[in-house]
Amino acid sequence: MSNKIVPAIYRAVIDDVILNIKNEFEEFGVSEDVLAELQHKWEKKVIESHVAEFESAPPPPTQQYAPATHHVHMIQQAHPHYSAHNPYAPMPAQNGQAPQVKAEPVDSRYILGGPQGVASHYALPPLPGPTLNGARPAAVHPGGHQSVLSFPPGPPPVQQQPQAPAQSSATAAPRAYNAPAPPANPAQPAAVPRIPQTDGPSDSSDDSPSPPQSYAPRSSHPSLPQPSTSQNSVVDSEAINSDLDDSDTEGEDDADEGTAGDTDIVFCTYDKVARVKNKWKCILKDGMIHINGKDYLFARCTGEFEW
Amino acid sequence: MASAYYEFYRGSSIGMALTDSLDELITSGSITPQLAMKVLQQFDKSLADTMVKMVKTKTTLRGHLHTYRLCDDVWTFIVKHPSFKMESNEVVSAQRIKIIACKNGDAIEPGKK
Repeated sequence: MSNKIVPAIYRAVIDDVILNIKNEFEEFGVSEDVLAELQHKWEKKVIESHVAEFESAPPPPTQQYAPATHHVHMIQQAHPHYSAHNPYAPMPAQNGQAPQVKAEPVDSRYILGGPQGVASHYALPPLPGPTLNGARPAAVHPGGHQSVLSFPPGPPPVQQQPQAPAQSSATAAPRAYNAPAPPANPAQPAAVPRIPQTDGPSDSSDDSPSPPQSYAPRSSHPSLPQPSTSQNSVVDSEAINSDLDDSDTEGEDDADEGTAGDTDIVFCTYDKVARVKNKWKCILKDGMIHINGKDYLFARCTGEFEW
Repeated sequence: MASAYYEFYRGSSIGMALTDSLDELITSGSITPQLAMKVLQQFDKSLADTMVKMVKTKTTLRGHLHTYRLCDDVWTFIVKHPSFKMESNEVVSAQRIKIIACKNGDAIEPGKK
């Protein structure tokens, strides 16, 4: 049946588009990661549409699917970086114990400094930010999960940040941190005085820590100043888009088709359309049928209707 | 040249999936609308070529023609109780289906090549 060929055809179309558009992406100065992301999103949506049985189909084109899975791995690999931030949260907690004994924070830094010696220094500045301390026992784990869940679908954060709407989405995760923040704010004053102390010994390593340093401000800036504005913009945009889009399309559909509940539709070309009295005959070519939630393809279709 | 390919296949499920994906990337600032248009043009071409090359299925359709319309060389049929008979004798039917058919063949071949 022509539904069985759908996965292979769609597979071929996606691969062909991705392959042939690569040059355009280069000319536009867009990295291949974005192209990979586009492919991933596209495939995901096609599969989710359930217009055909894609699960059974992938085996034949397994080789072609490989890149997609790689992308998934790429994204997943990115998570550790985010989760790496979470480990910082516990670190501040250790520093929180520091007020009792100053020497302890130093030790903890060195211990943690093994894998991330550079970053550990800058884990301190985030201290005030990672207001997670206060909510940590209850919220850190949920927060961590949220971040993991929220980031995978989205593009890399760096790409998101350039645009305002992206920031709003990016701040979605930070919001989780914001909520716990207020209670922990009182902890900031206590942590602040400690920062200079840590800065002193870490001066020598200031050069290398700069990259991680950039992380902290980014996360803190969008979250602190923008939560209100970004949320507003999100609300506005959502309201506008959803309302207008829905109303427009629904209105058109209803007016156009009358009883347009399902959108069973055929996209095709015609070779010949003929009529004798109320008998219609037409020869259709290269069609994509979407019916009962499934897709079918045909190279040629003879239609006979009576009007 | 790319404009010689029909754009109306973008309304299909695979086309909508691509359009939605592009929208998301534009919204997130990853790509520009201009680049998205290039992708869609490539899609028009890839889809048409792939269909011609790989799809060989033949099908017949019967039903009651509720509405017919020819405008700008585009036929639109609304068929009540359509019944598609696939090659493997599988029959697929529904309450109603809309058929959008652009002109095929000689009219567009010259422009394409």
